[in-house]
Amino acid sequence: MTQTMATPRAAAPARLRPALGRMREFALLPALAALVVLGAVVNDSFLTERNIISILGASAALALVVLAESLILITGKIDLSLESVVGIAPGLGALLVIPAAAAGFGTGWPAWLGILAIFVVGGAIGAFNGWLSVRLRLNAFIVSLAMLIVLRGLLTGATEGKTLFDMPDAFFAIATTTFLRLPMSVWLAVVCFGVAGFTLRYHRLGRALYAIGGNPEAARAAGIRVERVTWAVYTIAGVLAAAAGLCLTGYVGAINANQGQNMIFTVMAAAVIGGISMNGGRGTMTGAVTGVLLLGVVDNLLTLAQVASFWKQAIYGAIILVALVISRVTSGQAQE
Amino acid sequence: MKRTTLAAAAALTLSAALLTGCGSTKDTGAGPAAGGGGQGGKVGVGLPLLTSPFWQAYNNYVPTMAREQGVDALPTVNSNSDPTQQITDINNLLNQNVRGLVVAPLDSAAIVAGLNQAERKGVPVVAVDVAPEKGKVAMVVRANNRAYGEKACAFLGDRLKKGKVVQIQGDLASVNGRDRSQAFRDCMRSRYPDIKVLEIPAEWKAEKAASGLDSLLNANPDLKGVYMQAGGVYLAPTLQALRSKNLLFPAGDPKHIAIVSNDGIPQEFAAIRKGEIDATVSQPADAYARWGMYYIKQAMAGKTFQPGRTDHGSEIVRLPSGILEDQLPAPLVTKENVNDRSLWGNTVSR
Repeated sequence: MTQTMATPRAAAPARLRPALGRMREFALLPALAALVVLGAVVNDSFLTERNIISILGASAALALVVLAESLILITGKIDLSLESVVGIAPGLGALLVIPAAAAGFGTGWPAWLGILAIFVVGGAIGAFNGWLSVRLRLNAFIVSLAMLIVLRGLLTGATEGKTLFDMPDAFFAIATTTFLRLPMSVWLAVVCFGVAGFTLRYHRLGRALYAIGGNPEAARAAGIRVERVTWAVYTIAGVLAAAAGLCLTGYVGAINANQGQNMIFTVMAAAVIGGISMNGGRGTMTGAVTGVLLLGVVDNLLTLAQVASFWKQAIYGAIILVALVISRVTSGQAQE
Repeated sequence: MKRTTLAAAAALTLSAALLTGCGSTKDTGAGPAAGGGGQGGKVGVGLPLLTSPFWQAYNNYVPTMAREQGVDALPTVNSNSDPTQQITDINNLLNQNVRGLVVAPLDSAAIVAGLNQAERKGVPVVAVDVAPEKGKVAMVVRANNRAYGEKACAFLGDRLKKGKVVQIQGDLASVNGRDRSQAFRDCMRSRYPDIKVLEIPAEWKAEKAASGLDSLLNANPDLKGVYMQAGGVYLAPTLQALRSKNLLFPAGDPKHIAIVSNDGIPQEFAAIRKGEIDATVSQPADAYARWGMYYIKQAMAGKTFQPGRTDHGSEIVRLPSGILEDQLPAPLVTKENVNDRSLWGNTVSR
């Protein structure tokens, strides 16, 4: 690919590079397109408007966590505890609002304050994670694994394992109200991805993430305040994970003490097949979005096709594997 | 020469010391419980998880029922969905010299190591909710999970006669998820051949239930019935998905989708009263605790049991593995009997 493109325009390597970068970004599109075609063949209702809305609505929460994780991965860190934030942030918000008779704290906060608390909790946890990783210089993988367990335990403890049902409608509004027929949660994900994608590509701050993830020492030498930026990324990721938790709450209609459990594997899968490097410094938002959509489409397709339920997981995994291979072949780039 | 003898002697002494210090996990740490007349002694109670309303209810019933049956039960131990942790918990309880164990196995195979350990110490075990594949247990106290699936099938089948229904399945790697799925499917196939069964393998996860039902309704807007294998997890997402598709009509409305649930938690009862769902199979949390305590007390006194009908409306059967199981009845709760005070879902706070 490089050869054929390079020969006629050997004198313009500067124009070549973004084109190549763009290629990698869209590496997953052929796989996605193949799946959509397959879906249309397998089931008549796959390509209907309402089914596409279903896929998007079901993927919104995942998309927000993938966005959060992608930002952290690009910065060269990792945060596994995001899946627990998805549970505990809306959980605490709900406990502050619902009456004591419904297992709440009995503080009886108004709904808007509870929802605000969700984001504050998410941001605070993110900031704390950032502090552990940036200030104390603990290993991000291990420390976030510990935080994953702590936060999950805190939610189970605070709810005594109960499922919270009796939230005011405002808690569900983000997934139940629609704009142009799409749930607000989808719009939220779109806006967040748009802002993040634009910032990463064009803004000084966004470029700083790549620099830090690529080589923190070089970034520091170039005048980037590495610690401060990393810390900010962790905090933003916490807020995004909390937003994802709110979307999931609205989608499901309750908060289970297990909310978000094991989600991080799906998040990592989406990010990595979307071309985000686990080693930091590489990956784009467009790629991450295609990763999320691919997983959403596969899940929807398997349900519609009514594959034998015992085999669904195996087929799901196999399709992810094939998608990885296709994106490797089409991009011609080694995956990290 | 001398040095070799010395070394050999040293080796001999050392190995002797090692041998005497050596033991095996087969040693009986405590004498058999029967020695003390079999009545007294503490009973350890193991829980599989505490994140479901059902197990919370069971957990609350344990001390009450222990008092009722005159059993000295230790505070419950929660294995938090981890089968390995459960083995550790059993060992810890045995080290506290309990004279009886009531455990709810997370995994029918993985629990066997713990059961063997208890057997070596001469401590009788009653298994609740899940029958171990082998190993020695005095009794398995379990509602018949196949009956859950069949009850749900009969309810939906009699009401609908034909059309499409979906079962939102539990984890197919768990015996309870498998039994309910299989029974529902088999019953529909043999008794209601005009009903087509769709499936969502949701692994006891709310978001999987929501996205599965959401997708399925796009392809099958003519869906007539839903069987949720765990109301505690699937109730909210099912209602939410129907609401978002404008398909949630109260019972009695011709467009109402018939819904049968499984668990018997207060939220399901509230939904039945509101007409959002039609019925639920009440999994007897109180009976689990009561009969668990009853059988452990009997077993500690050295009693053994025989297959056959019991005096509490259930039947003891011998499983293929030779283990005895008391199959407790699970009542179907509908609008008619939803206010019955004897249902455990009406006795606990939400």
